[in-house]
Amino acid sequence: MSSHTESSTFGSLELARWRQLPTWLMAGGGLLALIGAAVDLQRFGYAWLLAFMFFLSLCLGALFLVILHHLFDAMWTVPLRRFVEHIACLAPVMLALFLPILVLAPKLYPWMTIDPETDHALHAKHQFLNAPLWYVRVFVLFGIWTWLAYGLRKWSLKQDETGAAECTYKMRRYSAGGIFLFAVTLTMAAIDWMKSLEHQWYSTMYGVYYFAASVWTTLATVYLITVVLKHAGPLRYVARERQFHDTGVLLFAFTVFYAYIHFSQYFLIWNAALPEETYWYVKRETGSWWDIGMIIVFGHFVLPFLTLLRIDAKLNLRVMVPICVWAWLMHFCDLSYNIMPVRHAAGFPAQWLWLDLACLAFFGGVLAKAFLKSFNAHPPYPQRDPRFAETMEVYLPPASSGRQASAHGGAK
Amino acid sequence: MSDLAIPASIKVHAPPPELERPPLVLNQRGLGWLSDHIAGVAEGKTPMWWWIAFVPSALMLAIGVICVTYLISTGVGVWGLHHPIMWAWDITNFVFWIGIGHAGTLISAILFLLRQRWRTSINRAAEAMTIFAVMCAGLFPLIHVGRAWFDWWMLPFPNSNGPIWPQFRSPLQWDVFAVSTYFTVSALFWYMGLIPDLAVMRDRSKNKIRKFLYGLFALGWVGSNRHWSNYEKAYLLLAGLSTPLVLSVHSIVSFDFAVSQLPGWHSTIFPPYFVAGAIFSGFGMVLTLLLPLRKFCHLEEVITVRHVDLMCKVTLATGSIVGYAYSMEFFIAYYGGNPYELAAFIQRATGPYWWAYWTMVTCNVILPQLFWFKKVRSNMLVVFILSITVNIGMWFERFVIIATTLAREFMPSNWGYFIPTWVDIFTFVGPFGLFLTCFLLFIRFLPVLAISEVKGVTPQADPHHPLGGAKIGGHH
Repeated sequence: MSSHTESSTFGSLELARWRQLPTWLMAGGGLLALIGAAVDLQRFGYAWLLAFMFFLSLCLGALFLVILHHLFDAMWTVPLRRFVEHIACLAPVMLALFLPILVLAPKLYPWMTIDPETDHALHAKHQFLNAPLWYVRVFVLFGIWTWLAYGLRKWSLKQDETGAAECTYKMRRYSAGGIFLFAVTLTMAAIDWMKSLEHQWYSTMYGVYYFAASVWTTLATVYLITVVLKHAGPLRYVARERQFHDTGVLLFAFTVFYAYIHFSQYFLIWNAALPEETYWYVKRETGSWWDIGMIIVFGHFVLPFLTLLRIDAKLNLRVMVPICVWAWLMHFCDLSYNIMPVRHAAGFPAQWLWLDLACLAFFGGVLAKAFLKSFNAHPPYPQRDPRFAETMEVYLPPASSGRQASAHGGAK
Repeated sequence: MSDLAIPASIKVHAPPPELERPPLVLNQRGLGWLSDHIAGVAEGKTPMWWWIAFVPSALMLAIGVICVTYLISTGVGVWGLHHPIMWAWDITNFVFWIGIGHAGTLISAILFLLRQRWRTSINRAAEAMTIFAVMCAGLFPLIHVGRAWFDWWMLPFPNSNGPIWPQFRSPLQWDVFAVSTYFTVSALFWYMGLIPDLAVMRDRSKNKIRKFLYGLFALGWVGSNRHWSNYEKAYLLLAGLSTPLVLSVHSIVSFDFAVSQLPGWHSTIFPPYFVAGAIFSGFGMVLTLLLPLRKFCHLEEVITVRHVDLMCKVTLATGSIVGYAYSMEFFIAYYGGNPYELAAFIQRATGPYWWAYWTMVTCNVILPQLFWFKKVRSNMLVVFILSITVNIGMWFERFVIIATTLAREFMPSNWGYFIPTWVDIFTFVGPFGLFLTCFLLFIRFLPVLAISEVKGVTPQADPHHPLGGAKIGGHH
């Protein structure tokens, strides 16, 4: 059966009640964001940056999961890989959404308007942190992500038609080089777009910190999308207990990993008590930022940790769906904790929450539309991935015995 | 949530022949063959190669005992320590051995939780290696304090001296708890995994003493359904408990340095960087030990090229993470704008210890990149050589972090250069003797592979598999 026929068998994603949601999010969020921009352009810029970094987490987290799939020669991720590829391929849309930040950068990044000769911290790294190079890096980073994501998806789609081993080898090669590029580019993005908001501060852990938070949020998103796609139809038969369980396990692992990374960063800075490092956290212990810090400790770690600890929790949608939505909220708090104290040193800016949410809604709407377009244009899961039989627990005779694609008698 | 039956409209294709996964036990060997072959390593006449390996190992151990005796009776002045380098090979060796001790628990716990079935052929030897490596590691903090007879002061218990309590704010004190907990849990995990195999050894023994001893330690195991059920549950729980331990031990070791304010030591990436380095060095040592083992004990059908291939990949991944950490440290030393921090790193790369730094980078970052190539991963000799370079590189990493940082303090008048004495050198050699002696005794007296676990990953053990239900492979 050709992939085209299989694609039509699965049909497109039909969620009639929610079909207009992305449009509404775009329209509503966009309108409010425009009002926000008119009221306070700089504040709008920070809200936009927060939304951007939130959804960049998903894009990069998805790219990481695809790369990981190929490097590990994994099998349980096969049914989920296609929609994860589509999320990674949102990179060019993200570049378009970065345009307001490009324009507003001098308003958002104080270092851009400081004379390096008058500021030691900036002067020391001026060869790296200067406006022209910062702009160039934006395009280099997006170029690399786009090339990687599209390259991986291109061969994945080609394998739907041919089933050739060559496609797998190509994807592995992309992933082999890609993992290095990914590590460097994600770190650069975290430094350029978030850490440099306070250019005096530094931490070798920062790239890993953003990575851990990004993958955690992506896994929660992947879980939710899998639930939707299983119930809506496209992944009804291929997203099985194993996919839910293992995604849940990985989410649990990254819950701990994120806490480990953030605790290590905080603890080492606190213990060494060097003023050039501690001021970043001192600022975040001021006013209601302290409360946000506590919310991160208990909400980003303790609650999901205790919830996901039980083995059976990973298969219980009444537990998992709320915890995945909660993960979005926590990631929002985490990013706000990183970005907003630059503008609101006194505490969490609850009065501007509407603008933050508006930008998030706009991003969500635009990206959901782009995602659905890709999803509906291609088969919903890799049709002829070499590990598909394994993940479906279908035993096929070994190659040496003349391998004809066999039926499903062996399926569990 | 339940799985739906796959409708006929969904076609499931077999993988292309070149992408089929090779089996974990070659030649469709049966369960009886596995018992005979693995248990056979610890039975029968001691082979000549074992003696050839054992005698020099025991000699190295003896040299180590002499050195430690001399050190304790004379004082740490017999080492080359002098201001400003008051930690050098001692703590380098400690961190080196602790790192090696990480692979065993990683394989037995984390890979178990990740359902990586290939771990079964290597976990037993790796766990044994862990325990012996932690023993070697534990030696150095005990002897480096100078007055080893006061080591018990590190333990918190009521006493009449004031009372004197340990300094709980010191990461060195945390090491005491981290390492001892890690050793206890690793030993427990290892022993528990051994129980079913000890029963196999008991049942196969023809010698009464062996039968008694294996029987004693097998704790009356008969392989009943209830035994297996309890065993599996306990194994899962211990795996869950061991996993945070793997991360915590080396994180705490990294705190020994990172909580300080010393340029070159104070870096927030240290905990995950140390853990990755520990796994990297641990896998390096596992490869160094298992490659000769599979050859001399004729275990090529159980420790297959696929196993070696996968271990190389873990080594490559962790080596690359370590490379990321090296780069990030250097970059942030520049980015942070602290001139002392930057100077510390420039000194590492271009100062008097440049040779140590570049040995570290070459062995830990550049050479492991060869593992990207399947040809390299399939060539056992090349893998063996690369695994040794990993060991060398990781020892140098600790030396670079510890000694070279101390050698260049803030003021040039406070600079120095460490030259080891003969006692340093032989105190370094001695633990290798302890480690290899223990490992060789382990090979000789205990099942070197987890027999029951290896059987569990064969197709015969899977009733759903077309080859399952012991349709092939002969007797049990």
